[in-house]
Amino acid sequence: MSQLHAVPLRARTLGALAGVSAVGVIAFFWPFVVAPTSIAADHATDAPWFFALLLPLVVAVLLAEVSGGGADAKGVAMLAVLAAVATAVRPLGAGVAGLEPMFVVLLLGGRALGPAFGFALGSLAMFTSALLTAGVGPWLPFQMMAAGWFAMAAGLLPQLRGRAEIAMLMAYGAVASLLYGFLMNLSFWPWALGQGSELSFVAGAPLAENLGRWVTFNIATSLGWDIPRAILTATLTLLAGPVLLRAVRRATRRAAFDVPVRFETVESVTSERA
Amino acid sequence: MTETLTLLTGGATVGAPRWLHPGAWWIWALGLGAAATRTTNPLLLGLIVAVATLVVSARRPQAQWAGAFGVFVRIALVVIVIRVVFAMLFGVRIGATELFALPTVGLPEWMAGVTLGGPVTAEMLYIAVIQGAQLATLLICVGAANSLASPVRLLKALPAGLYHVGVACVVALSLAPRIMVNVRRVMLARRMRGRPTRGLRAAAQAAVPVLESSLDDAINLAAAMDTRGYGRATATTARERALQATLVLAGLVGIALGLYAVLGASGWGWLLLGLGVVMAVAGIAVAGRRIPRTRYRPDPWGLPETLTAGSGVLAAIAVMVFATTSLTVPLSWPTLPPVAVAAILLAASPAVLTPSPPLPWRTS
Amino acid sequence: MISFEDVSFTHDGAQSAILRDVDLTIPEGDLTLVIGRTGSGKSTFLNLINGLVPHFTGGTLRGRVTVAGMDTRTHPPRDLAGSVGTVGQSPRAGFTTDTVEDELAYTMESLGFAPDVMRRRVEETLDLLGLTTLRRRSLDTLSGGEQQRVAIGSALTAGPSVLVLDEPTSALDPAAAEEVLAAVHRLVHDLAITVVMAEHRLERVIEFADHVVRLDGPLRLEEPAQAMRGHGLQPPVVRLGHALGWDPVPLSVRSARRLAQDLRHSQPTAPARRPAGKQVADVMSATVRFGQITALADVGVRLNRGQITALMGRNGAGKSTLISLLTGSRRPQIGQARVGGTDPADLQGRQLLERIAYVPQDPTDLFYTDTVAQECADADADTGFPPGSAWNRLTALVETVDPRTHPRDLSAGQQLALALAIQLSAATDLILLDEPTRGLDYPGKAVFGQWLQDLADAGSSVLVATHDVELVAVIADRVIVLADGEVVTDTDVRSALTSSPTFAPQIHKVLAPLPVLTVEEACLL
Repeated sequence: MSQLHAVPLRARTLGALAGVSAVGVIAFFWPFVVAPTSIAADHATDAPWFFALLLPLVVAVLLAEVSGGGADAKGVAMLAVLAAVATAVRPLGAGVAGLEPMFVVLLLGGRALGPAFGFALGSLAMFTSALLTAGVGPWLPFQMMAAGWFAMAAGLLPQLRGRAEIAMLMAYGAVASLLYGFLMNLSFWPWALGQGSELSFVAGAPLAENLGRWVTFNIATSLGWDIPRAILTATLTLLAGPVLLRAVRRATRRAAFDVPVRFETVESVTSERA
Repeated sequence: MTETLTLLTGGATVGAPRWLHPGAWWIWALGLGAAATRTTNPLLLGLIVAVATLVVSARRPQAQWAGAFGVFVRIALVVIVIRVVFAMLFGVRIGATELFALPTVGLPEWMAGVTLGGPVTAEMLYIAVIQGAQLATLLICVGAANSLASPVRLLKALPAGLYHVGVACVVALSLAPRIMVNVRRVMLARRMRGRPTRGLRAAAQAAVPVLESSLDDAINLAAAMDTRGYGRATATTARERALQATLVLAGLVGIALGLYAVLGASGWGWLLLGLGVVMAVAGIAVAGRRIPRTRYRPDPWGLPETLTAGSGVLAAIAVMVFATTSLTVPLSWPTLPPVAVAAILLAASPAVLTPSPPLPWRTS
Repeated sequence: MISFEDVSFTHDGAQSAILRDVDLTIPEGDLTLVIGRTGSGKSTFLNLINGLVPHFTGGTLRGRVTVAGMDTRTHPPRDLAGSVGTVGQSPRAGFTTDTVEDELAYTMESLGFAPDVMRRRVEETLDLLGLTTLRRRSLDTLSGGEQQRVAIGSALTAGPSVLVLDEPTSALDPAAAEEVLAAVHRLVHDLAITVVMAEHRLERVIEFADHVVRLDGPLRLEEPAQAMRGHGLQPPVVRLGHALGWDPVPLSVRSARRLAQDLRHSQPTAPARRPAGKQVADVMSATVRFGQITALADVGVRLNRGQITALMGRNGAGKSTLISLLTGSRRPQIGQARVGGTDPADLQGRQLLERIAYVPQDPTDLFYTDTVAQECADADADTGFPPGSAWNRLTALVETVDPRTHPRDLSAGQQLALALAIQLSAATDLILLDEPTRGLDYPGKAVFGQWLQDLADAGSSVLVATHDVELVAVIADRVIVLADGEVVTDTDVRSALTSSPTFAPQIHKVLAPLPVLTVEEACLL
């Protein structure tokens, strides 16, 4: 059974995904590459704000591309409803950020409906849940980017089925939710500490040194939450994954994303389009 | 308070209640927030918080999302506390006024050889509090925008190129509360099957009917949208489509390369970055031309909007020009730069110069 | 206006066509009613008109459908949107905005209408459908009837010449249904809009129809009276006409009353309903408040073995709240509920299953797996009965169910049967059902009514919350009417239904003042 793409993966969509991801990578990982003479090194606490203003633009470009260029009413409705489900279950999560049930929805959505749809779903779900709780802050663009990657990668994983698929999704869910926590830490690392603390990044320092500081920052701040979150996400995937995945796949069949439409006249077949 | 202010201005421009354009509130708030990032003067920061609080209390609508301001104030306080704790544990030891000393712990080499603890000075604490307060003030400004600007009206003001995403957002926002109700309903039904309603397994099983019925809703919704003309596009030529794809892709590449160059301190980075942004925006605009959609009663942009947005921008400029400060040791007493103070006070004017939001409809 | 030329439609992968050789023309400005049993293709027929079939659903369309001069093969739904307005089964599921005014404007926005035209059309539609006072309301705060009128309004604003309605009144209480039908009637008469409507509740709509298309009869336009002959889909008044040999068969209560003049002078021999047995459940002076709103005010209700009690009242009158007290999912702030002597909120697991069976408004809330067989096996594990018990109960209710079917793919009637089968154990004292007859056609409803009667005869106490007066007239022994959180009527079914104009069944309306409720009783006269 091949992967369904609720948003067709055309060359331009792939290109946009790659371009947006490249900008995203820089927005997260800039402390490791910034030159000591760069303006960003002087304004380390301002740089995240700059990225927080730039990221919405590139995510908007991608969403316009995905929703306007490829998806029809079915894709947009499916996007809206799954984003609503993810938004609705977010408060059920444990802990401060409480993202586990939401992650499971994003994981299954990206898995069943393809990577491009997955990216749109991840970022949109973060956006709507922030709007609903009026939590639009500087962290939001980073969350949208990271959640987009999270769901997109679920659609890029190998096409296994049955138990192997659930095992793979569990492992992915655990690792990816850990990574999500690390990425979010990375995004506010310069912002929360500024420069001049023992854990702040040092512009131009060797990669290993900055990595060490970042890892220590992770351990000091959020590892206590990240690990239980990873375990919970994997457990929820195990418990709910199989039947929910079947439910999403059943719905995509009912939505008839790629069912052919045929017209016949009484005498002969005249036309066909997919 | 509001009444007094209204009386003082004689209700000058407080016309009939209407929604102020949400974009105006966001520009105003981000202007004030930008001002906060430029100054380390605690008096100015305090003034900005006071102005934001005043405007929120005067113009906050009666809606659920309008309660966000309080949440942001709490987050802001947490940010200051985190900053102080980190400064005490990991901060660079500067200043001479030692208050007390924490025991020191050396971390292993792979953890960057960091040393925890050490003497805590008044200068260190002051700097941590001020840096935290800068962030906190900015967050409070963002919180003000969150509780003043209606999210749905903001989505309606999106450019045409983002129309489809906007529709998805509006639908998701109106569906999410209903899905929360469904979750509760399904949990009650589950109890009637004699099964526990707590725990992970319960949550996982309850998710099935909730998701299934939501997905059914999605298919019905898509059909309804289809029969209501959604997705109708004006005919476009292959050239127009190619132009749009080129703009989008070249824009993204420009932004990425530009950023990389800026981080490497290359002079042409900003140029490339700017070019990329312009092309990406143009790409969205070109995409919007394909959509024949018109708007029903859009929020107008009138004098109150210009005044509101303008007062925020003015505050940012005034602080940048007249009150940009940084923290230096030894510490000195803050002073009040008159122009910056006046500009920030001016940013309080939307509390009276904007129309008040309409009252919500009440259930009988 | 709408023509079907030799149309057949086959779903993708299906062996046979769901509609075959439809060849008919629906004239302009008429109201055409589409009837047929569940699964006969009513929605497919309607969606052939707006183009959703086959553009949205996929599948193979043979022949040609033309609407207002446009061939649906070359015009997908979005291009037909200006000519065909569509209102689906559940109006709430089709809303794309959050307030009444925006919803009305949505189609026009999509089609690119000029702002001043939009403004004018919205005002006109608000007036036409009596929605003016609701214009700024959030769609979630509207009642079912109001939502349905908004949905019709939003289909109308773009100025279509055809309106397609799929079961517009099936979820509504009698008063709201009348509101909606009055609005539809006005559209046909004042604006000459061609309306094509599918509906199970023929007693509500048949008198408004100009033509009928029977999908499991001859696929052509028939006069309503002619279409009502000789099949299972007949409203009570038609069945009465047939039973008494009236010709022409009356379609409305009014014409039946003229024919029934002699009958009304006879002496009724109304058979007694089931007597009350031992008390099993009791709600004592219960008050429930949600914030400022009082959902139930000092309500006292007793339920007895061997009886079917109907719980009636407008949407929002407190029916569901009263049921939630009896299931124990909520405790009243004042007063208490008792089932078999215990507080139902204290019951859990098997104890709960043994005493109370509950079928929610949407029976699929109870289904957690993806086959019927698995669902039955889980139910046996829950109740502790030997394997196969739930499956046997299910097959006693419906004969042919494939155990591998997904519970959501069952018909509405089969879903009810499955919900009952997994909820019922041998000695269930109290059976609670919330709006169970949605989506059931007349034969389906008759079968369902029989299940409940059998359960009551076996000694259970059955409480059914419903809007369906015709069902109540046939099966209930007692009626409780709630209004604004208070019990306004609690008496035997005959006195309850004969004393209220809103809740009177068709047969009583025909034969009033005789206390006769059903066709069978009328035949005894």
